[in-house]
Order: sequence, then structure tokens, then C-alpha cells
Amino acid sequence: MFDLLKQACDTAKKAGCRFADARYLDLHRQQVSSRDLALSNCSESDDRGFGVRVLYNGAWGFASSPGYTSEEVDNVVALAIRIARASAMAPREGGVNWAPQQALKLAFKSKCIQDPFDVSLEDKADLLISANQVMLKNNSVIRAQGYLLFKRVQRWYVNTEGSELTSDVTSSESVIWAIAVGNDDFQERNWKAPSTSQGFEAYKKEEFLIQAERVGAQAEEKLSARLSPEGDFDIVTDSENLSLTIHESVGHATELDRVMGYEVSMAGSSFVTRDKKGEFQYASDKVTLMADNTLENGLATQGFDDDGVPAQRWEIVKDGIFQTYSTGREFAHYIGEEHSRGCCRADHWSSIPIVRIPNLFLMPGKEPLSPDELIGDVKHGLYFEGMDSFSIDQRRLNFQFGGNAVWEIINGKKAGMLKAALYQSRTPTFWNACDATCDENYWRPHGVINCGKGDPMQIAQMTHGAAPTRFRKIRICRGRDS
Amino acid sequence: MNRAQAQDFIGRILAMPHQGELQVVVNGVHRLGTRFNDCSVSQNVLKQQMTLSLTARLGQKKSSVTINTLNDDDGIKHAIEQVFTTCQHMPDDEEVMPALGQVLETKEHAFNPQSEAMEIEAMGEWTAAACRQGAAAGIDLAGLLSLGKRFCAYGDSAGGFAYERYHRSDYHVTATGNNGSGWAEDQGVSINQDDVILATQRAIDKCVKAQDPEVFEPRPTTVILEPQAVGDLMSMAFWYGFDQRSKDEGRSAFSNYDETLGKLSFYSDPASELFPTISFSADGQALSKSLWLDQGQLQQLQTSRYWASKNNLEVKPSPHNIILSGDGTSLDELIQSTDDGILVTRFWYIRSTDAKTLGFTGMTRDGSYRIENGELTHPVVDMRWNESVLRVLKNVTASGKPMATGEFISMVMPALQVEDFHFSSLSN
Repeated sequence: MFDLLKQACDTAKKAGCRFADARYLDLHRQQVSSRDLALSNCSESDDRGFGVRVLYNGAWGFASSPGYTSEEVDNVVALAIRIARASAMAPREGGVNWAPQQALKLAFKSKCIQDPFDVSLEDKADLLISANQVMLKNNSVIRAQGYLLFKRVQRWYVNTEGSELTSDVTSSESVIWAIAVGNDDFQERNWKAPSTSQGFEAYKKEEFLIQAERVGAQAEEKLSARLSPEGDFDIVTDSENLSLTIHESVGHATELDRVMGYEVSMAGSSFVTRDKKGEFQYASDKVTLMADNTLENGLATQGFDDDGVPAQRWEIVKDGIFQTYSTGREFAHYIGEEHSRGCCRADHWSSIPIVRIPNLFLMPGKEPLSPDELIGDVKHGLYFEGMDSFSIDQRRLNFQFGGNAVWEIINGKKAGMLKAALYQSRTPTFWNACDATCDENYWRPHGVINCGKGDPMQIAQMTHGAAPTRFRKIRICRGRDS
Repeated sequence: MNRAQAQDFIGRILAMPHQGELQVVVNGVHRLGTRFNDCSVSQNVLKQQMTLSLTARLGQKKSSVTINTLNDDDGIKHAIEQVFTTCQHMPDDEEVMPALGQVLETKEHAFNPQSEAMEIEAMGEWTAAACRQGAAAGIDLAGLLSLGKRFCAYGDSAGGFAYERYHRSDYHVTATGNNGSGWAEDQGVSINQDDVILATQRAIDKCVKAQDPEVFEPRPTTVILEPQAVGDLMSMAFWYGFDQRSKDEGRSAFSNYDETLGKLSFYSDPASELFPTISFSADGQALSKSLWLDQGQLQQLQTSRYWASKNNLEVKPSPHNIILSGDGTSLDELIQSTDDGILVTRFWYIRSTDAKTLGFTGMTRDGSYRIENGELTHPVVDMRWNESVLRVLKNVTASGKPMATGEFISMVMPALQVEDFHFSSLSN
């Protein structure tokens, strides 16, 4: 598989390119969806091709093709150079400052015990439809749905520096949800099974049935929940809810390409300007946020990035202080770092790599602390579970998040469910209001498989994680008028 | 792949051995994309791809496979085998519908000969010229100029066939000064250098007026929403609310809802002059003009073939564009008729907060300005808002001339003057 990729790099080098890399991807995907007692869909796809990126006359060019032949490789290299010439009509002042990277030879394979593509459709249908049957036992639940999504991405990478890399990553995701109708209202409640770089072994029918029982009943309960109060309250987030907040308010905010204006026209910029590096009080001293693209079963764990840089682990925030950014080779120099953090990924063989959020998580508390103890120290507050409405400004400062299920906390105990509750804050205000997070026994990872960024949009996946965590005096508003 | 080639290719596939009903969709894209920031090109990409989707039906069972190796007959035969094997293992689903078997004569409303002839060098030149325009104004520019040349072909074993070529152009640009930014776009099926220059200048002008914004304490107020902001809001509303089955099953904002939503009409039309689209769906259904709101009165919403047959309704397939009517008032006139309000260039990151009331939240971005006594007085700091689309439509007091907008969804939207719009917090 490497031969034609090497041919591409050799041809580009001979044509005068300062740098070139070539990637071949073989993507296999299957999605099985259920609606009530039927499968509503089973779709599979096979998608393969290669892309060549060249740095020519100080400008980038990129072209791709599904036809993997020697002749087509030469055509694509020529096209990439032609595109780089067009890019050079508006060159970057000072050219591209490309961080050095030693040539690597590496083969990465994710752990997959039970290949999901070998599991029968009957077993997948049984998993989903059994869960739906349980959710539909609730009288108010008029629709029960779910899906299983499996992906396998095999990647071969070569560059003009001599790197020869391969990866083979299988990942899985599943969600089930119930929609309840009644009380002149309708409500949805879901359970996200782990999104993980593992195979079908991640999914157990017993767990699906237990969760189906819970979310079906809670969908019904949400119909009669009272509207959330408004004002300043202490809040406790479960690990899934906080994972999304980490993603939006820390992950995207600390992508260096955003900070440098490369995403201004679409995803936006960032309030975490370079002067904040090493100094800014991002959060309280209870907060350490770790980036780790070596995390076992992490969705961004793929051995190396699409700049040919190996996976790494580093602190983004340490004891509340902002440390450094997620970077790629084109960006490291902007913050005086010699090497890339290895965060450039492309979502397809026809896409160009861009800086993506790594696996990123809140480190668990160092002292023993259970969720009951965490909630026990809240007189009147709200407990947010799961992901719901989420919105953040283009500088990643003002945000507003909901939860898939929210409970009132009264005198240290979870009380009744609430409807339409939202927490609204500014990123540093919120994170500096964190006064406790549970210990490692309660830490859970949560995968994000649909992170959109880039222009044209690319979709990436990564894992976040946290233990249940408490924030003091956060503004609560609601998404429905009283 | 032209029409004759597509017909031949699909005919060959349908002639390959298979057991039941087979639907074939071929999609092709040749997309040029030049991205720039800091007045220089940061990415320049050409994407060329064709995909072949095969959908098998055996009675009430259905499954699909998509591949991208179209020049390998053995691979296609294998994919056909695979999709029928999977199909056999599917449980029955009463909602599976047979192929239509219709031959559609399409008019290619969204095909543009100038776009077909566009080359990457022209895009480089236009982008470079835009960058020089920004440099001359002393303002950083970032944006994307892209052009997609596409076709879609459909065929089924019941005799159905459709083919259409179409284009999609997108230029959007953000102009950033020391303390404030502006934004503009040009959307449609074709673009030329003048369009790029004009949009760039609009962004620069917006940016110049957006410097050093002041705080406007968030409160309900009158807003003038420019077309992008209206489009972002209406596309979310369409996604969440405008489905007949959800309405009938009680899981929509429109379930048991009979109020009139203002006076504007909301519809879809593949033959729209301002933003035409392909005129058939992925399962070979012809798309025509569909009215969702007729002068504020709710009409039958998107309706699948299954739901239509079960409930004796007209089929209304999902459209490729959405259009809101307007009364043609100019933006200047809308501003002049506002005593106290905010002009919003653009919304960002709209998400549902309450599906029951079509409640959404979002942010302003890239140029919001205070209006006092009919004049723009100063820029304001970006704000979050929480608002129901039902209330927005009822609170429209005037509207502009509809124009093409939307990077992701093809839309034609007017500017709207809306009373009592709920801003809730600041972004500073």
C-alpha cells in the first residue's frame, strides 16, 4: 500500500515541493436504526481513496482521488501543485513555518475484541428492538428509537521526510431514546451507550435493558416535571453533561488555529489569546484538564495525526492555570513551541487536515468524594444529567447548556425533575466556580462523534470525560415561558 | 457523467443479477474550495468524487449500501449481493414503500454554464483580489470561496429514472478590525468576480461600523434581522417543527396548534429564481413548490409516502430549499421605521431550547448595531437571545426583499423587523 504513496511524495519532491504527504484511507461504516419494534434502516458504506498535500512555493495545494493507480497518483500530484500555484496568488507573509518532525515508522491498531462487522444483523436488531420494547411499556411513550453505528478507518500515511505510518481504528456508538406525549407536552429522554474505539464488546444487552427501563420511565416523568426556577443556583453536572461543556468551552477555545484567526469565517476565534499562555486563571485550582491522544479507547486515539506527528499527552489547564494549546505543525511556532502537539486530523481522504480537539478530560478529584457527598453540600440547586441544548459564542466565552434530565436539589438531596432548565455562564466565570469534583471511582469517558469544524465543514470524533462536578452560583434560566 | 452515460451506467447495474427491487443513486461532485485568512490563502482544495448507493427491497424489508468504486463491475456485483443478503436478514417494517418507477423530465434549474466552466485559477485570482481589497482597507479578511459542480442520477428496477446537473456557489467573508468584525455572503448557483468584490466590500463596511462596540443591556427589544439571521432561525424551525407526522402524533410545536403565524408565507420551490435546487429526491420523487405557511396559516407539512398513504394525505417530500416571503421594504426603510432597536447582521450557534414552543437560543455575531430614532448610532457587544420562532413570526412588523442566503442550506429570506425579541445576556 505504501508504494504509490511514496511515488506521490517522490514525484512532488522532484517537482520542487518543500514538503508533501500522501494518505490513503479505507473507510467502512454501518448504521442500524430502530423505530419501535422494527428496524427502520440498515445502511453500509465502503469508501476509499487518497489525498496528496503539497507545500510548493510557500503555498498549500491539495487534491485527491478514489482511483489508486500509478497514473492517477501522478495526475493528483500534478493537480495538487497546480492548486498550490493558485494559492500562491495570495501568499502568506513569511511563508509557512512548518515545525520539524523526525521521520517515524509506526503501526497503530485500536483494541477490538468483537469485530462489529462480524456480528449478525439479528443480534444488532435484538439489542435495539429489545430496548425499544422496554421503553414502550410506559403508557406515555409513543415512540422508542435507537441506533448502532460502527466505523472502521484504515489509514496509510507517507511524507517526504520519510515517515511511513499506518493505523486501523474501529469505533462504535449507540443511542436509545424514548419520546413521551401527554399533559399537552412531549418530552424526549435518551441514553448514550459508550462511544468508544472498541468493538461490539462495548455493548451488553443487559445494560441496554436496564437503561431502557430508566429512560422510558424518565421520559414519562419529564411530562409532569415542573418548570425550572430561574436565578443563581449551585449546580452539579454528571460526567456526560460536563463532557460537552469541556468540549465547547475548553476544547475549541484552546485550538491554536482558531486563536490565530484561521477559523474566523466559520467556527470563529477564541478568547484564549496567546498572552494568556502559562498565566491565565482559566479555572479554580480544583481543575486540571488533560489532553491525551494516547487515552485507551479514546476516539481521537489513532497513534499519529495527519501531519505525521505521534500522539501525545499534555495539560491544557493545570490547577486552574492555562498551560498551552492544541496545535499542528503549521501552528506550533506561533506560541514559540518547537514541535506540534499532534492534533491535525482530516475526516476523509478528500479533506485537508486541520487542528482538532484531542481527547480532553477533567482530572478526577484527588480526595475521596462520592456523588451523594457532592450533592449533599448543596442547599438548593440543580443536577444536570446528559446532553441537551448547547450553544456558545464564536469566541467560546458566553455559553448556555441544558441537560437531558434535570433534577432540583433541596437540602442536599435530589428532589423532583425539572423541565426546560438551562445554565448560562461565561467560560472563565463558570470554571472558576468549580469547587469540587468526585474521585476517580466516578470518572467516566464520553465520546463525541460529530464535532463540526472547518470550511468546508469536517466532522471529527474525540473523547472527553469527567466525574460528577459541582459549580457554585451559576445563572439558571429556562427555555420555556411560564 | 452526463445523462446518457448515467442512464447507461444505471441500466447496466439494474441488469446485474438481483432478487427483488433495486434502487440506484449515483452522485458526483467536483468541488473547488479556496479558503483564506489574514489576507492569504490557507487552504485550497479540489474534491472529486462519485458515489453509488444501492437500496434493496424484498417485500417489507429494505437495506442500503454505498460504495465509491464505480469502475469495478465485480465490486458493484458484490455490493448488490451484499445489500440483498443484508435485506433478507432485516425484520419486516410496515413503513417500507415500493419504488415509484417514475421517469422524470427535469429542467436543471440549478445548472449554470458559467459555473460549469469555472477553474481553480480563477478562484485563486478572485481570492487574491479580495485579499488586496482587505489589505487596502487595513482590515483582515477570512473566508471561503467555493463552487460545487454536481450531478445526481436515480434509477430503479420498476422503470424509474431521473438525472440532473446542478451547481452551488458559496462566498462568505469575515472582515476583522482591532475591535469588531463584519460579515457578508454571496450564495447561489453561480458567482463572478464582481459578486466577490461587492460582498467583500459589504463585509469591510460592516466591519468599519462595528468597531468599539458598546454594551446594550440585554432586554426584549425590536430587532431588524438581516437575511442570514432569519435563515438560520427558520431553517432550525423547519428542522424541528415542520413535519406532518410529528404534528399528528403530538410531538411537534404544531400539534393542537391553530394560531396564525403573522402574515408571511413560507414555502419551498426547486425552481426558485433566486436559489434553485435539484428537483427530485434521493428516492426518485419529483419535487415541486410546497407551501408550508400561507400568509401565516399553517398548511400540510412535510409528509412521507408512508404517512401520506396511511392517512390519505398528499405526499410532501423533504425539500432542498426554504423560502420566506417578504414585503420588499428596503433595509434603510426598516431602520428608519425603528425608534429603538438592534440591527443584527448574523446569528450563530442556534440550538433548540424547547421543541414544544419552537424555542431556540443563539448569539449575534459580526456586526450588531443600535438603532435610535430611525438611525444606526453605534455598534453593540454581541448578545445571547432566547426566543420562540412562533412568537417571532407573530411579531413581524415589516419585512424586506427576499434574497439568497445559507452556506449549508439553500434559502431565500428577507430581512425582518420583529418586535419584543428577547436578548438575555452579553458576550464580553
